[in-house]
Amino acid sequence: MSAGFDFSNHSRNTFLSEKGLKVPKATSTGTTIVGCLFKDGIVLGADTRATEGPIVADKNCEKIHFISDSIRCCGAGTAADTEFITALISSNIELHALSTGRKPRVVTAMTMLKQRLFQYQGHIGAALVLGGVDPSGAHLFTIHPHGSTDKLPYVTMGSGSLAAMAVFESSWKPDLSREDALKLVTAAVSAGIFNDLGSGSNVDACVITATETEMLRGYVKPNERTQKERTYGFRRGTTAWTAEKIRNLVVSEEITPIGGEEMDTS
Amino acid sequence: MNVDIQQLKSGEVNLGTSIMAVQFDGGVVVGADSRTTTGSYIANRVTDKLTHVHDRIYCCRSGSAADTQTIADIVHMSLQQYAQSFGEAPTVSVAANYFQTLCYTNKDNLSAGIIVGGWDKDVGPSVYNIPLGGGLFRQPWAIGGSGSTYVYGYCDATYREGWGRDETVEFVKNTLSLAMARDGSSGGVIRMAVITEDAVERLFVPGNQLPTFWEGLEVLGNSSGAKQPAVEPMAVEV
Amino acid sequence: MPNMSAIVHPQQRHFNPYAENGGTILAIAGADFTVIAGDTRQSEGYSIQTRYAPKVFRLTDRAVLAVNGFAADGNMFVKKVKQRLEWYKHAHAKDMPLRAIARLIQTMLYAQRFFPYYVYNILGGIEEDGSGAVYSFDPVGSYEREACRAAGAAQSLVQPFLDNQIYFKNQTAAPGRSHPSHLPLPDVLSIVVDSFTSATERHIEVGDGLEIYIVLAKGRSLQGVEGLHGLRELSTQEDGERVFVLQRDLKKD
Repeated sequence: MSAGFDFSNHSRNTFLSEKGLKVPKATSTGTTIVGCLFKDGIVLGADTRATEGPIVADKNCEKIHFISDSIRCCGAGTAADTEFITALISSNIELHALSTGRKPRVVTAMTMLKQRLFQYQGHIGAALVLGGVDPSGAHLFTIHPHGSTDKLPYVTMGSGSLAAMAVFESSWKPDLSREDALKLVTAAVSAGIFNDLGSGSNVDACVITATETEMLRGYVKPNERTQKERTYGFRRGTTAWTAEKIRNLVVSEEITPIGGEEMDTS
Repeated sequence: MNVDIQQLKSGEVNLGTSIMAVQFDGGVVVGADSRTTTGSYIANRVTDKLTHVHDRIYCCRSGSAADTQTIADIVHMSLQQYAQSFGEAPTVSVAANYFQTLCYTNKDNLSAGIIVGGWDKDVGPSVYNIPLGGGLFRQPWAIGGSGSTYVYGYCDATYREGWGRDETVEFVKNTLSLAMARDGSSGGVIRMAVITEDAVERLFVPGNQLPTFWEGLEVLGNSSGAKQPAVEPMAVEV
Repeated sequence: MPNMSAIVHPQQRHFNPYAENGGTILAIAGADFTVIAGDTRQSEGYSIQTRYAPKVFRLTDRAVLAVNGFAADGNMFVKKVKQRLEWYKHAHAKDMPLRAIARLIQTMLYAQRFFPYYVYNILGGIEEDGSGAVYSFDPVGSYEREACRAAGAAQSLVQPFLDNQIYFKNQTAAPGRSHPSHLPLPDVLSIVVDSFTSATERHIEVGDGLEIYIVLAKGRSLQGVEGLHGLRELSTQEDGERVFVLQRDLKKD
């Protein structure tokens, strides 16, 4: 086995799609992800809905991914791409930190991510919000699928990015307190959850400062399901069957000792 | 002929852009608007399209954000390597040639229009234009990006040799304002850099302090001179 | 060399007069009542156009029409059906019977065979024999009387649920017993509510509000509707068939 992507099915898939076979739809995180700078660091935020076309594939997925102790990355776009590229760069960042003996920097992660995404010319569909605190301070970036990056004090990405950016553009100011920044990020993600059909369910948040990283999974849950009107239990014997066969899955065998010393199995 | 290098990949981030660089006696002024777009959405309204590639050499980027950032990063690295190998700062010509080589050899896969400007001890100030196909042209002034088409006439009519720093800065500021006013993919603020032997000075013009020209105010019935309420400058970290 | 094969491909752009506005409708017929329901979200792509756009309309005291698909066509179609029913009333001094409305809708849809109304219709109400009835239509007028039907964005989620709970599909009855052919009103109402809360959970175009229309046969007691929270009566007289509407909130994400 060689490392990296396996392209051996490419020709077969091209042939199949020419014959009219639909390409399977990847799970996309049609997402609202945001990040904002505040007095002591960074707050990241994300909704928790994952979709396959118009169907909700996961009502409570995690979109804030681990890069290092004080660097995190929110992912929008193709779910598999955001998860794998994030895990890969997290791993490389750890190795880099080990080999340099220094704390990893946000720009390092950003550069690794953008170079990888550029190499794949947009075919790795990951739109990222990268944020963290390192010895040079707090940094926040957006990284687009083709590999371009922006460094800004407040950022949004995903299908709900316009709704969320509207909140930031009207209320963000420099040197917010931790509480106000969390409140603003929650409002921005909520704008996405309620006004963008691709986003929904809960608000996840992550506060990163020089001293600690606090992952607030399910920070706000404004969309809990109400009690169902009926219970849908089924009577035993509801499912029809045509034949019944019971097999014994326990294999028993008899062992006959034929003398000599017992084998040493220790 | 359909030139598909002009075509951005779908969903790609675009530097719609008005950029320019002008040479004057003591140095070079480079300038750019600050708008990056994805379709009709402004992904960044305070972008810095003037990218440092060496101590006294900057480039102005237009076209695909991903392509131009990557090219600038590679040239930045090459110039550092050059300085280490030869023990002296690279000339603007060297930098422009690095850009040109990358843009020409990869022309089928890139959409990048780059202007390189800077100062070196061989020729003093110089400006190089590297348009889409990967050509390389030394010019006293260069404009680029989608907004530039609106202001070729203005530049031809206005530019004079022998200007000083301040006149050149005014020229860049006025040209970019005109381009930004006409081109929907350009806008935001103006960022400039004055590159001389001694220093690189960064200049910034907020969006509400851009020079204005005729805007048809009397047509809109606003010629009474009634004062509009002052607009708060936007909070921006430079 | 630039890619020569990519040169001069004639392109045609076409105006598309249709949009898909999401949402789901359903109807269930009982022995002497019918329930017709729809959510109130109207969307296009990933945007919500409005959180309250009714998709279910009272036509007469014994007929309710639910329309789903392209909202503009739906509203225009309901408007034209109502106009035809008004004309019928002036000509015959009575409301049009349900089965006649169904046939009218078929002819109106088929009249637009080559520029169709981009809508799925479900007509619910009470027949002249006093039984609950549901008629479902395709966009060009093919129709069928059924006991229950779901249509719209979440049809593929709701219809199998209804098949199981209303028609008892894939359920074998207990030995010596059989499944009922009609469910009582309270059971039907709770199945309707659960259908929509569940569709809201798993379909992004369903949500915001729920409107449930209940049509009762002439002389039927109010058992099952009395005391319901948020109930409103829409019928014009008390001694004929009666129409009620019940409003519920759905999740807004």
